Amino acid sequence: MAQAAQPPAASVDNETCLSCHSDPSLSLTSRDGATVSLHVQQDALAASVHAKVACADCHTTTAELPHPERSFQSKRDLTLALDTQCRRCHFANYTKTLDSVHQQAVARGDRTAPVCVDCHGSHDIRKPSTPRAVISQTCAKCHEGVATAYTRSVHGRALTGGNADVPVCTDCHHAHDVAGPKQTAWELRTPEMCGSCHANSALMAKYGLSTNVLSTYLTDFHGKTASLRRNQNTPVTGAVVARCTDCHGVHDIQKANDPQSPVIKANLLKTCRQCHPDATDNFPGAWLSHYEPSLHKAQFVYAVKLGYAFIIPFMIGGLGLQILLHLWRLMANR
Amino acid sequence: MTFKYVRFSRLQRFEHFSVMALFIVLAVTGFPQKFYDHRWAQVMMGWLGGVDTARWFHRAAGVTFGLLLVAHVVRLVWEVARGTVSLSMVPTRQDFRDAVQTLRYYFGLTDAQARFDRFDYRQKFEYWGLLMGSAIVVGTGLVLLFPILTARFLPGELIPAAYLAHSQEGLMAFLVVIVWHIYNAHLSPDVFPFDTSIFVGTISEERMHHEHPLELERLQRAAGETHEPAA
Repeated sequence: MAQAAQPPAASVDNETCLSCHSDPSLSLTSRDGATVSLHVQQDALAASVHAKVACADCHTTTAELPHPERSFQSKRDLTLALDTQCRRCHFANYTKTLDSVHQQAVARGDRTAPVCVDCHGSHDIRKPSTPRAVISQTCAKCHEGVATAYTRSVHGRALTGGNADVPVCTDCHHAHDVAGPKQTAWELRTPEMCGSCHANSALMAKYGLSTNVLSTYLTDFHGKTASLRRNQNTPVTGAVVARCTDCHGVHDIQKANDPQSPVIKANLLKTCRQCHPDATDNFPGAWLSHYEPSLHKAQFVYAVKLGYAFIIPFMIGGLGLQILLHLWRLMANR
Repeated sequence: MTFKYVRFSRLQRFEHFSVMALFIVLAVTGFPQKFYDHRWAQVMMGWLGGVDTARWFHRAAGVTFGLLLVAHVVRLVWEVARGTVSLSMVPTRQDFRDAVQTLRYYFGLTDAQARFDRFDYRQKFEYWGLLMGSAIVVGTGLVLLFPILTARFLPGELIPAAYLAHSQEGLMAFLVVIVWHIYNAHLSPDVFPFDTSIFVGTISEERMHHEHPLELERLQRAAGETHEPAA
């Protein structure tokens, strides 16, 4: 949390404000003709994290009596204008939002795009992750389609069941600096995003899941391409390569052995064909399903691996030895 | 007066130069892909203009290398069929005996060095190693360039196997060149600093006497002891 700015010299205290604003019928008609309630629920304010913040700390421009005339067309106009007030204390997070797709939409003039209070609430503001499931519900207020898909996914179902290990929206998309999923930089980060849980052996052991999924992906053609592209600031000219979500699904992700999963054997060819439309029945066999080649899986690949693990040291060692012997004999000849 | 003996034809020198140039391009564009998770590989990829550009050059060089290999093999088969080429590169029992003799010499068990003909066993080993290694990298490279086509006729598992073989065979070729070829062509006290024969095409009579005495004797017998240079 950023350091709290010095509150302005409040001309009025909370009690003064609430002497009027505790009246449920207090309202005004805004210039667009809508009736705007001016009632502040005292108990919601008292239960909020801002219980000890003075009204005038946020409502700086109305902190004097009588209130000066305001020129807003609607309540939304006021909300959008008041958004910068949060910056006075929450500078770091506010600055992060400036890079977000939400703020870009606001800047474009999209009045429905969310500002601070749309996600956090205003007078009833709470810690955003109590409980954790609230986060996904907050996003669902606008992003209904993906939120529904998420609740049906393996992650969403676990979250509904009270499991706090699974990712909620902000774990992948971030909260304040939420990026557009179509942005290349964000896309290229996918393996790292999924890997932050799926390569965590302590976490995966709880669910009997393999942490090889990330390493096997990265050493494969798709993964290598993705990580090499990610680490250079060079234009991507080749075809898009598959990342975790391209095969497993995004919001609707299922267990790999779920009959609905796009990566279960019966569905795999169809999944490959999203990018390789000419793929035939044998083609999915090229993908080793995140298994390391071993005596039990992909024996042919394993044999090649063992063969080279033997022949490379044998060859180089043998030739190196001959060189040393040659030099030794030349020394001896002198 | 020293005589020069022709060792490599113009075409052979061209082949060596092309292989050398292509090998460098393939190694420079290939290893940053193999070692993608090392910092140096990522820096190098940046210099190359990114993985997509590097791959374009790798594939172009690989296809050229493949054409060179095919041309070489087709020419050899044709020349062998017509009987217009000597079979001096074919390994024989004598090569095995020479290798044993050389090892005995190195260990000081004998002071007599093996006497070689046109190509000694090390040169034959390197030639056939290069030829077979090339066949492996070109073959697996084609599988990787056309995975869909491959899987139409062959099991899919061949693709990851080719991926591994291509990368490991490339590593082995690189190490053999760095260790063995650079030693024999540059660092060995016998040739230091530079065995120029593959670039200029000829070697001196003194070197012929030292390194290919059997061939020299053969040539001298054929020329009627006249010391007539063959070029």
